[in-house]
Amino acid sequence: MLVVAAADRLITYFQAVVIGLLQGITELFPISSLGHAVILPKLVGWDLNQDKPYFLAFLVATHLATATVLFLFFLPEWLRVLRGLGRSLRDRQISPGDADARLAWLLVVGTIPAGLIGLIFEHKLRSLFASPTAAAAFLTANGLILFAAEYLRRRAPGADERARELEHVPQSETSSEAEKRLATLGFREAVGVGTAQAAALFPGISRAGVTIGGGLFVGLTHEDAARYAFLLATPIIGAAALLKLPDLVGHNGDGVRMQALVGALCAAAAAWVSIRFLMRYFQTNTLTPFAVYCLFAGLAALIVFVF
Amino acid sequence: MRNDRLLAALAALLGLALIAVGVIYIALNEHDIPSFFPGHVSHPASHHHVKHGIAAILLGLACLAFAWFRTGPRDRAVSRA
Repeated sequence: MLVVAAADRLITYFQAVVIGLLQGITELFPISSLGHAVILPKLVGWDLNQDKPYFLAFLVATHLATATVLFLFFLPEWLRVLRGLGRSLRDRQISPGDADARLAWLLVVGTIPAGLIGLIFEHKLRSLFASPTAAAAFLTANGLILFAAEYLRRRAPGADERARELEHVPQSETSSEAEKRLATLGFREAVGVGTAQAAALFPGISRAGVTIGGGLFVGLTHEDAARYAFLLATPIIGAAALLKLPDLVGHNGDGVRMQALVGALCAAAAAWVSIRFLMRYFQTNTLTPFAVYCLFAGLAALIVFVF
Repeated sequence: MRNDRLLAALAALLGLALIAVGVIYIALNEHDIPSFFPGHVSHPASHHHVKHGIAAILLGLACLAFAWFRTGPRDRAVSRA
């Protein structure tokens, strides 16, 4: 009981709800979940030590919830992609008309570099840059990156050229139109966009932001770049959460499991609403509003923390 | 195309070796792993380098996948030609 009482003081249910909602929204919006998780508690004066095992155990639950929602939202796509992966392994080749198989391997190739970099550097970078001031500086930088992505998009091969490439892609009866468009990516482009995810190890740099930006740079539309970014994010977020699951089920999670459950439910609900909103938003809109928000929010937080 | 077959064989061997290294990292603590492995410590310890192990297994699987596709039907057709 003493442990529970102590933990209750460390993460209250109100804090669990707020952090859960924040995680669900900011993980998918291109505005950095890690940056907000570091900056917001400091701004509102919450005494949360984010390096403590109990808080990391809490975060595992919210990340697992977000990854689950992402997987379920794109479940039809994942089923087609996994079947394509199986077909390619069986045939020992990616058939020219099999967009699902090609997309599967584009996702694998894009995930490996970011996964390896994350495994090797995640702890070092987190301990180096987890201060609110550093997160505010990186959030400002994230705004500039998003602006740059929109600017560089004009120099990219472009949707027209991508559309011309699509004319040469054999039609598959099993793939959706979006998957056919994504399957026109080259493997080098996939590695580049996937590796960009590693920038999200810096608190304040958004994984969704850099991958959508990378997608724009190689000529995808906003909608396709967002779809590819979310597909690419699912295994990374899920694997990172599963890797740290022992923290939650072990003694580090003692006393915070109920708060973690509440936080996870809030994160799941927020993530579902966010992903539905963003997939519609990117049909007609750009990254610019998020760039403006990151730039001003980062600068404002920087001024508050420095002065 | 003998070089292609040799490359595939080397990739397969490397893949199997990396998976073995990964299993050793996960199964043994940092004191018991071979001394030439990065992360080895000379004093008794209970910590396991799980992340090193996962990274090695991932790389090993990537090498095996490369070897698998390298010897696929399209490659064999090219070899025959």
